[in-house]
Amino acid sequence: MTLLLKQIFAFFRLLNSETGTNQLAAGLACGLILGFSPVLSLQAFLVLFLAFFLRIQLGAAFLSAFFFKFVAFMIDPLADKLGRSVLESDTLQPLFVSMYNMPLVPLTRFNNSIVMGSAVISLLLTIPGFFVFKNLIVKYRITVVERFRTTKFWKGFAATKFYNWYCKYSELYG
Amino acid sequence: MTNKSLDTKKAPGPIRWNALIPFSIFCLFVYVYSHFFLDHTLRKFLEWGSYKALGVEVNIGSFETSFWGAKLSIRNIQITDGEKPSQNSVEIGDIRFGMSWDALLRAKILVNEAAIENIQFATTRKSPGKVAPPEPPRQGPSAVEEQAERLKQAALAKAEQEYADNMLGDLAAILGGTDSKAQLGKIESSLESKKKAQEIEAEIQQKQKYWDEKIRTLPNQKDLQALNDQFNRIKYKDFKSPQELQTSLQELDAVLKKGDAYSKQIGNAGPELENDLKKISTDIKSLDALIKADVKALESRFRIPSINPKDISRALFNKYLGKYNSKINHYRGIAEKYVPPKYLKKGKDKEDPNEVLIQPREREKGISYEFGRKNSYPLLWIKKATISSQAGMSPKSGNIRGEILDITTQQSLIGRPTVATLKGDFPADQIENLLLKIVINNLQPESLISYNMEIGSYPIGASELVQSPDVQISLTKATGKLSIEGTLKALRDFKMNINNQFAAVGFSVEAKDKTIKDILGGAFAGLPIINISGVASGFLPAISFDISSNIGTELERGLRRQVDAKIAEARKQIETYINGEVGKTREAIEKQVSQLKNQLATEIKKIEGQLDTQKKQAETKANQAKKDAENQGRKQLEKEGQKAVDDLKKKFGF
Repeated sequence: MTLLLKQIFAFFRLLNSETGTNQLAAGLACGLILGFSPVLSLQAFLVLFLAFFLRIQLGAAFLSAFFFKFVAFMIDPLADKLGRSVLESDTLQPLFVSMYNMPLVPLTRFNNSIVMGSAVISLLLTIPGFFVFKNLIVKYRITVVERFRTTKFWKGFAATKFYNWYCKYSELYG
Repeated sequence: MTNKSLDTKKAPGPIRWNALIPFSIFCLFVYVYSHFFLDHTLRKFLEWGSYKALGVEVNIGSFETSFWGAKLSIRNIQITDGEKPSQNSVEIGDIRFGMSWDALLRAKILVNEAAIENIQFATTRKSPGKVAPPEPPRQGPSAVEEQAERLKQAALAKAEQEYADNMLGDLAAILGGTDSKAQLGKIESSLESKKKAQEIEAEIQQKQKYWDEKIRTLPNQKDLQALNDQFNRIKYKDFKSPQELQTSLQELDAVLKKGDAYSKQIGNAGPELENDLKKISTDIKSLDALIKADVKALESRFRIPSINPKDISRALFNKYLGKYNSKINHYRGIAEKYVPPKYLKKGKDKEDPNEVLIQPREREKGISYEFGRKNSYPLLWIKKATISSQAGMSPKSGNIRGEILDITTQQSLIGRPTVATLKGDFPADQIENLLLKIVINNLQPESLISYNMEIGSYPIGASELVQSPDVQISLTKATGKLSIEGTLKALRDFKMNINNQFAAVGFSVEAKDKTIKDILGGAFAGLPIINISGVASGFLPAISFDISSNIGTELERGLRRQVDAKIAEARKQIETYINGEVGKTREAIEKQVSQLKNQLATEIKKIEGQLDTQKKQAETKANQAKKDAENQGRKQLEKEGQKAVDDLKKKFGF
C-alpha cells in the first residue's frame, strides 16, 4: 500500500514538474490497457511487467487503471457485442482455433466476448490515448501550473524556509 | 559546484535497471517461501478448513507440491470419527495428483494421474481426535420458530412411526381377540339402530293404544245382537192394516240405515289400519339399513385391519430404514451448509415472495467460446483417477479398486463419457462383490447420469423392526444382497430403483398373547427370501419414495387364514351384539304388529260378515213384507170387489 501511495504521490509531483511528460502519458496509456483487461490475464501481467521495468510512471498507470476499470464496467454490454461479432467472425475462426490451442495465448482469455471486445477497444484507444494524454499534460502545465506559480500565494509559499527545506530533501532523497 | 554536478548527471535510460534488484529479491523470496514453507502452510490450512467443514479433527501426514512437475501429493489423511474420537472414520494413505505443463500453458488442466490409495475405515488413532462442540442455538425469534418446527417435525415423524407400529398392534389385538365385549357395552348408547328400534317400539305402542280405543268405538257383538233383536221384532207378514205395514216398513228402513252406518264405520277402519301397518313395516326396513351402518362403524372403531402387504412392509421396515434416513439427513445438512444457495434454490418451483435479495448489479459475464478441435485439450481433463484399498491393513479395510475415466468439462472434444467404477470386497465385514458404476454422459443434448450399485452379499445384524405394546418383532440375522440403479436426467429428473434381498433370515417374535406369538412366529419362520424394493422418482428436490416387499405378501399368505377367521369372529361378535340389542326390540315389534293385524282384521271381518248377513235378512224381510202387503191388498180388493158385485146384484135383483 505504501508503495502504491508513493507512486501516486510521485505521479502528482511529476505532473506538476516540467519533465517526464512521456513517462506520464505512457503510464496513463498502460493504465488504459490495464483497466480494460481482466486482472488475472496474461496481458495484464505483461503490461505490469513493462511498466515496472521500463521507465513508465507506475502511479499514473495505477490511477488510470482504476479510472478505466469503471469505464470498462460501464461499457461491458458494448464490449460484449463487439467481442461476439469478432469471435463469431468466420474469417477469423481458423486463427482463433490456432490461438486457442497455442501455448500461453489462451492465458489472455481472448475467447471471452467481453475480454475480446474490451481488448479491441483498448488497443484502438492506446496509441491515440498516449498522444492525447501527452497534450493534456502539456496544456495542464501551461494553463494551470504556470498560472498557479504566478499567484502571490505560491510566491509567498515558495519563499518560506519550509519549502526550501522540502526542495533540498526531495533533491537528495527523491 | 552543486549545479555543475546536477548538470553532468546522466539522464536515465528507458529501462529501470534499479528495479532489477528488488524484483530479484522478491522472486527469491517467493521461491524460498514456496520451497520451504508453502507445503506446510497449505497442509495447516487444509487441516483447519476440513475441521471447520466436517466438525472433526483432520490430520494430514505430509503435503508436497512440485511447481516444475505440476504435482501434488498428500499422504496419510486421517479423518476422526465424530462418534468415536479414538478412531478414524476414514484414513487415506496416499493422494497423488499430477498435471501437464503443456496443457497448463494453454490455460487447460490435464491431469494425467490422480490416485487415492490405501483407504481404510475405522482405524485406531494414536490420540483421540478433536470433535467440534455443537453450535450454540441462535438468539431471537427465528431460533424459537426453528425449534418449534423441529419439534413439530419430530412429533410428526414419531406419530407416523407409531401409526406404523399400531398397524401390527391392531392386527395383534384382533388376533388375540381383545375383550371387545367390555368395550361394546360402553358404546351401547351410541348405536343408531338401537335408538331407532326404541322409537319404532314406542310408536307401535302408541298405535296399539289408538286402535284399542278405536275398536271400542266400532260396533261390537252387542250392538250387532241388539240390531238383530230389533230386526227380529219387526212384523213382516199378516198385516191387519196398511198402517201396520207402514210401521213395519219404517222400522225395517231404520234397521237398514243403522246397519249401513255400522258397515261404513268398519269399512273406514280397514284402510287406516293398513296404512299404519305399512308405515311400521317401512320403519322396520330402515332399521335393517341402520344395523348394517352400525356394524360397519363398529368395525372401523375397533380397527379391524385389512391385510395389505404394502402396509405390512412399511410397518416392518420403517424402523429398519430409519437409521439410514438419519445419516442421509446428516449429510444433507452438511450439503445445505456448504453448497452455494443458488444451487439449492435450483429445484425450488417458486421463490419465497417474502425473501428480499440484496445484491449489486451483476457484471456482464459474456460468453466464453471454446475453439476446440478434435484431440485438443478441454478446459479440464482428468484422464484417469484411481482409488484402491487393500484388506488386512485394518479390521475394517477391504480390497477395493476403483477408477474414474475421462473427467472433463467438454466430453465432445474427447468423445467419451465419464465413467466411474468401483469394485471390491470387505472380507472382515463379510461384504462381497461390491460394484459401483456411475456414467456421466454429456454427449447428448440433455445430460444423463446413470448409476448402478450392487453388493453381492453382506451380513445384517440384529435390528428392531416393530416395537408395539402388543407385539415386538426383530431381525436377529440375515444375509443381504443389494442392488441400486437409476438415472438423473438433465440434473432434475431423478429415478432410482432399490432392490434389497435378505436370505437366511432369523426373526425374533415376542407377543403378549401366546396364540399371536405362535401365529406370527410360525408365519415369520416360514418366510423364504425377503425382497425389499424401493422406487424413488421425481424432480429434484421433491422426490417421492415408495417401498414394497414380498414380506408383506408372504406374511399375508401365512396370516390370512388366521386373521380372516379372527376378523370374521370379531365381525360376528359385533353383529351378534347389535342383533342382540336391537333384535329383542325388533321381535317384540314384529309380534305386536302381527297381533294387531290379526286381531283387528278378524274382528272387522267378522263384524262385516254379520252385518252383511243381517242386511240380507232385513232386505229379504222387507221384500216379503212388501209382497205380503201386496197380496193382502189384492185379496182385500178382490173381496171388496166381490162384495160390491154382490151388492150390485142384490140391488138389481139377481
